[in-house]
Amino acid sequence: MMDRRMVLALLIAGLVVLAAGPAFLSTHAIVLLTLIATTSIITSGLSIVTGLAGQITLAQAAFCAFGAYGATLMSSHAGIPMWVTIPVATVITAFIGYCLGVMSLRVEGHYLALVTLAFAGIVNLGILNLADLTGGAVGHAVEPFVFFGYPLVSPTALYYLSMVSALIALWGVSNLIRSRWGRAFNALRQSEVASMSLGVDVRRAKAVAFGLCAGLAALGGALQSLQTTYLDPVQFTILTGVSYLSVMVIGGLGRLSGAIIGAAIFVLMPDFLGAFKTYMGLIFAALLLGIIMIAPSGLGELVSRHRWFKSPEATS
Amino acid sequence: MDILQIVANGVPAGMMYGLVALGIVLIHNGTNVVHFGYGEQITLSAYIVIVLQVIFHVPFWLACLVSIVLSALFGLVIYLGILGPLRRTPLIVQVIATLAIGLGIREGLRAFMGPDPWPFPAIVANKVYEVHGVFITTANIVVVTVSIAIAALLFLFFRLSRYGHAILAACESPRGASIVGISVKQVSAVIWVLASVLAAVAALLMAPVLTLSPDMGLIAIKGFCAAILGGFVSLPGAIVGGVLLGLIETAAGYYISTATKDMVAYAALIAMVIFMPQGLLGKRLIKKV
Repeated sequence: MMDRRMVLALLIAGLVVLAAGPAFLSTHAIVLLTLIATTSIITSGLSIVTGLAGQITLAQAAFCAFGAYGATLMSSHAGIPMWVTIPVATVITAFIGYCLGVMSLRVEGHYLALVTLAFAGIVNLGILNLADLTGGAVGHAVEPFVFFGYPLVSPTALYYLSMVSALIALWGVSNLIRSRWGRAFNALRQSEVASMSLGVDVRRAKAVAFGLCAGLAALGGALQSLQTTYLDPVQFTILTGVSYLSVMVIGGLGRLSGAIIGAAIFVLMPDFLGAFKTYMGLIFAALLLGIIMIAPSGLGELVSRHRWFKSPEATS
Repeated sequence: MDILQIVANGVPAGMMYGLVALGIVLIHNGTNVVHFGYGEQITLSAYIVIVLQVIFHVPFWLACLVSIVLSALFGLVIYLGILGPLRRTPLIVQVIATLAIGLGIREGLRAFMGPDPWPFPAIVANKVYEVHGVFITTANIVVVTVSIAIAALLFLFFRLSRYGHAILAACESPRGASIVGISVKQVSAVIWVLASVLAAVAALLMAPVLTLSPDMGLIAIKGFCAAILGGFVSLPGAIVGGVLLGLIETAAGYYISTATKDMVAYAALIAMVIFMPQGLLGKRLIKKV
């Protein structure tokens, strides 16, 4: 066991390395690290809703789309700077997520997964069909991030912006996990009935978890769009949402570190495979299945559900 | 006339969704898992036909037959290799496993067969008939006939055969069924095989009408919609839900715009889950502690 001072020292050392990173890293490495930072904001949302609260969502990419498109469209149509529109889009998306959570209160398990699937489908079709607003299948250029006259567009500037945002987001989530809400999410994953009888407002907790998850996705998606500089509806399909969930499972659903590991896998795997990129999806699926098969109880323990959800054989 | 044409187009489309829903509901009833990779299983069967026909020059009917047999085997492999061993794990693990199966098939097909669509031969030569101003294609007639035949066969199997009764019993109460001597494991295996055969048949009907590309499996979302409309537990409900969805979609495509077809279908899913989760023909589930 490491004591507190040791952890603190490691944390500070890590922060120093991250802060000094751009001084000695290649541009390619900076770009990849920036992507990992923004993706980990997106996946940390999943670690709240799926990892902690035990609800399956396939709509994470759709919430990213809300954040990315929301920020850019508000900026390009109304002329509001991006540093204002990104937080605004994040809050609005969190509210949309909250509403989706409220609407899905009565359903759980499969039905929730199906609702989020359909929601993701509608969002993607909406982007494709509202071509006047969103650019449709062609896409839409992202407005540059200008902060009081200083444009933050270089890889290094975006690196710092994304890193700081990701650290704040992850720090917030890790505090949330240990807060009253975090304990409520944890309880409702293990047994909804038990947590209800202990005074947890299950419905509200679920909706809040969804809202937070959506907000984080929007923030991550918007920051990511600053780096990609172009919005392509292909980035925000149902399949991307499934990929986010998959990397979280590979990274580890139960811990916040899983969000970072998952994000790293999501970003680095295409880069790492290089010429074998065509087989990436296949390798990815095999990896996912392998992890599930080898450690179903490990994973299961982390996301154990109450008896209603287990197969009848297991309960009787 | 408009309405007749909507019915003539909507019913065959709905029958296809109903077939997909049948497979999904079968697996769900038997094993309590919604198979998120079912659409990809359908796509895989269609690709097997193409590979056999184009690369190995096997006659079309034989290719179809082989595809059905291979699909059945594949279903057995999924059950024995993946979902069988996982049956005691939490639901979320099983859902992710089925998602992974779908991902593997889709990306595997994309890697080995390319992302571009393949032309799929029609089962019968395509002709268009005009009846009192309503246009009906042979493809649609085949879809409706085969779907009704399959639904009838399944109905008879579950109502009349001892084996069908055993499956229904095991779905109703696995514990009770095993007490009276039904092997629940064997029933689950049979259900996976049955659903996979259905997937192959659905593939033969759909592939000529839709575009055969690795993403054809997304049609399964329509299957989910149909299943939810029908209540998710009832087999006739799956077909009814499918036809209803086909009609809603075609009407939306006709009166609003074709672009809204899919959106209306997905919105129907969400509305149904929120306001009527028990579906049209399902029973309300009562959660016991």
